[in-house]
Amino acid sequence: MLKRLIARWQGILLTLVGIVATVWLGATGQLGLYIHPRYFWFSIAMALIGAVFVVAAFAFTPLPEEPDEATDAAAAPEHHEHSHHDTPEPPRANRAGTIRAALAAVTIVVATGALLVLPPTTLTSATATQRSINSATSSLDASSPTLVGGDTANFTVKDWALLLRQNPDVGYYADKDVDVVGFVTASPDDPENVFYLARFSVTCCAVDAQPIGVPVYLPGWQEQFEEDQWLAATGAIEQNPGSTGDEPLVLVTETLEVTEQPEQPYVF
Amino acid sequence: MSLTKPVPPHHAAHGSRTPRSRGAVGLGLGVALVLLFVAIRLLAPEEVGNLLSNSVQDFFTLSISVVIESLPFVILGILLSIGVQVWLPEGFLLRHLPRNAVARRIVISMLGVLLPVCECGNVPLARGLILRGLSVGESMTFLLAAPILNPVTIITTYQAFGWDDGILVSRILGGFVIANLIGWIYSRHSSPMSLLTPKFQASCAHAHDEVPATRTRRSVDMFTKETSAMLPALFVGSAIAGLIQVGVSRDLLVTLGQNPVLSVFALMALAFVVSICSNVDAFFILAFGSTFMPGAIVAFLVFGPMIDVKMLALMRTTFTARTLVQLTVIVGLASAALGLAVNALA
Repeated sequence: MLKRLIARWQGILLTLVGIVATVWLGATGQLGLYIHPRYFWFSIAMALIGAVFVVAAFAFTPLPEEPDEATDAAAAPEHHEHSHHDTPEPPRANRAGTIRAALAAVTIVVATGALLVLPPTTLTSATATQRSINSATSSLDASSPTLVGGDTANFTVKDWALLLRQNPDVGYYADKDVDVVGFVTASPDDPENVFYLARFSVTCCAVDAQPIGVPVYLPGWQEQFEEDQWLAATGAIEQNPGSTGDEPLVLVTETLEVTEQPEQPYVF
Repeated sequence: MSLTKPVPPHHAAHGSRTPRSRGAVGLGLGVALVLLFVAIRLLAPEEVGNLLSNSVQDFFTLSISVVIESLPFVILGILLSIGVQVWLPEGFLLRHLPRNAVARRIVISMLGVLLPVCECGNVPLARGLILRGLSVGESMTFLLAAPILNPVTIITTYQAFGWDDGILVSRILGGFVIANLIGWIYSRHSSPMSLLTPKFQASCAHAHDEVPATRTRRSVDMFTKETSAMLPALFVGSAIAGLIQVGVSRDLLVTLGQNPVLSVFALMALAFVVSICSNVDAFFILAFGSTFMPGAIVAFLVFGPMIDVKMLALMRTTFTARTLVQLTVIVGLASAALGLAVNALA
């Protein structure tokens, strides 16, 4: 009985988990943690249409079941005449059915936990490290207009990272103030002295997030800050005083303060 | 849509209640369940997340993002499949196809232009088409071609790459040729039904028994059945994709990317792992653009929409494991050949 119920309703329940998660994320403005804003309306519209079907599915009595493997196996041997036993299904099909139902139940529970119980979060520095920071700047660069000569007042860490790549001449930055917000992730080359103020750049969904950031020169930064902390920084771009490391230009900060994670932590 | 549609007597006989009150009870139950899930979401304590390490948290974030991104496409695919099976007149789509097998597959590989869903939405649609009489080989042609030969994919690929390096042209032609090749190979199979899972074969056998019920009811029933087949596969596939991404270093793939031969295989491996929809994969790979050779990008853009972790999980609802292994090998070899050729010419 329970097995049949799970087999029939697992899809509806999983759909409902996805729908509630999507609509709630949309309503609380957090959908951007997972997908690019250009999909917002599409995701929410499909979720609402799906919701109509889910509720309707409960309202209608099920149509006659297609025979599934378990009942097929039970029904096929016609010579099963002395079925006085109370086991309508042969033990093997029965066990397979039980395992399938148990797996389905686990999937539903885990999906509920992941989408409805866990608080939504951004990706962490673990992924930033794993995806090697600024490895994608060269190509992002190719697809964005040149930033050299632009008004730097509203530049994000992404813009600064691209600009540093487009124009490595330190003189250019002499009169430019940097004012950015990002999270802390250690520089792989010079973790003692340099960390990145980073954001994830998202083109489709969090799966393709690329870490991108501005290197900050601050020896002994680990004593004041920890990875994944969000910081607001002001300062200027200067030559990297440390000789090691790949970054010729770094941000030397004037002010550096712990701040709240921005409502939209990713950049697009 | 009315909830008081007469129910055939043998269903109503399940209980002594009238169909009307049954419907009302079911509806109440459904609404209660929706409220329960909403309540879980609203009441879940914020602190739960702090118990997880960064990597575990990122695993969940990545997997959830695949689910949230794919779910609307899966729902759209199921709706289109319902449209084809329940609302279009019997044989409407198939009657207008050419008789000649080759011409027929060519037309089928263009169906994506009319039905622009990405690959995750195509699986329910292909199932619907098989139930409506499309042969197994033809359904594969559709399944493989539609995610590439559809307007949304073509536009996003154009936006990302323009006409650079022949990437767009190679993607379109490559997808078309591989899909038709696969359709041709499987059209020569002696018993095509054996390529399908026993469960789906059973559905096919019953597809033509018209159930005495209104179209609305059949639509809702199909929605229930299709989600039961697709959604577990989507969730499990997304979890596997998330797990691999946390485990496999991107660095490794990017390092391999500089070599004209290895880069092709590296990007095919990446496509297999990340499992993102064909509608948007061009933007994704653009982020790596200059790291990789154009042939590798073409291999990524051709192989990814056809075969990846999530797609295999979804296709497993319909095809046997053996069939999927063959399919993966053939599509993989063909995509690799295409990528290497583009690199050789570049």
